[in-house]
Amino acid sequence: MIAAGIIERSLNHLLRQSPGTAEALLRHAGSSVRFDLTLAQFDFRIADDGYFSEAVVDAPDAIIRPTPALVTRLPFFGRDALRHADYSGDPALLATLDRVFKSVSWDVEADLAPRVGDIAAHRLNQLGRNALARVTQGFAALGYNASEYLIEEAELMARGVDVTRFNREVDTLADDTARLEARLNQMQARLPETAGS
Amino acid sequence: MDKTTHFGYQQVAESDKAAKVAEVFHSVAAQYDIMNDVMSVGLHRLWKRFAVAQAGLRPGMKVLDVAGGTADLTRLFLKEVGASGTVLLTDINFSMLREGRDRMLNEGRTPPTVQCDGERLPFPDNHFDCVSVAFGLRNMTHKDQALAEMNRVLKPGGRLLVLEFSKVWKPLEPAYDLYSFKLLPLMGKLVAQDAASYQYLAESIRMHPGQEELKTMMETAGFAKVSYHNLTAGVVALHKGFKV
Repeated sequence: MIAAGIIERSLNHLLRQSPGTAEALLRHAGSSVRFDLTLAQFDFRIADDGYFSEAVVDAPDAIIRPTPALVTRLPFFGRDALRHADYSGDPALLATLDRVFKSVSWDVEADLAPRVGDIAAHRLNQLGRNALARVTQGFAALGYNASEYLIEEAELMARGVDVTRFNREVDTLADDTARLEARLNQMQARLPETAGS
Repeated sequence: MDKTTHFGYQQVAESDKAAKVAEVFHSVAAQYDIMNDVMSVGLHRLWKRFAVAQAGLRPGMKVLDVAGGTADLTRLFLKEVGASGTVLLTDINFSMLREGRDRMLNEGRTPPTVQCDGERLPFPDNHFDCVSVAFGLRNMTHKDQALAEMNRVLKPGGRLLVLEFSKVWKPLEPAYDLYSFKLLPLMGKLVAQDAASYQYLAESIRMHPGQEELKTMMETAGFAKVSYHNLTAGVVALHKGFKV
């Protein structure tokens, strides 16, 4: 219950902060959307004003199943992380939802300003963004270094290009073997004719 | 013979309960807010904010605050629904309602205020987006009838929020009993000069249905997707249900 309320409130807050998003959902007013998180399902209906409203839904018009990758990537990749969700249902509604989710953005500064003042909100926001950028950069560098070590130093992994070349060579070998086999079969088929004449 | 019901731990005639509850609230109305702060150490403010956050309100919506008393929830609802929305403050008790109305007038707000019985709401069917009853259902004689009335006035898809004292987490029961039956009446005596009313409060909490029981009652009254959330280890529970 608490989670559904939080999701509803958060989604609507983001819609309010992102001009045009609620308006885009207006033409789907009355449609229902289910966020299926495997362990729990949260059903919402698009209200007459284009915002989400928690609802009782038997058969939702659209189902969104966020994958674990989305949850882990969301803080670092933001909207791009939404690619890591499975969508099913009404294509028109899904297209609108996809467009809306890609255009929503959280104006942290606007939320902080009434509590701490404009200047502090701006600085806190910058601080948070910089910290997040550094963390993202740190993780990216760590990943790069780890992959470099595994490929170049420990040789536990192959580079993408090497794998591609190897695959191509295996394909060529398979083709050659198939051709040879066909040739051998052909020759074997001719053998009794030659022996008989 | 008149049917009986509970008034705290006493059994009284059903027709007498409303008058007895009214006496309690006439007596405590003036000190109600300060007593709430003292008794809950200010926690009642957080419980109410949590309830409002679960209401899913947006500008322009219509809200009915049943047994709204001193207008704690009404004031929070007003912030959510904005100038285009409506929040109706109601209470059966005039003293409590007057406190709430005056408080809002002092803040420069004039929301509609109606004295009415939660068991017979004078509003049309399918009218409100949200109905709330905070610390009020416990005092109603026919809770099932009140819930049915709230269901009637809600629009399809609308939600009912019931914020009410509930069954506390078992290991905390001895401490909670000690607090309720010893400290609470003492605080009532010292702050509000009214120990009896706070004795009734403690008793009425014990007589009120627990979390699961109230959930079943709401489902019986026609609400769907009924769920509840315990606050402060079950001292209070917020029940939420939807009209289908």
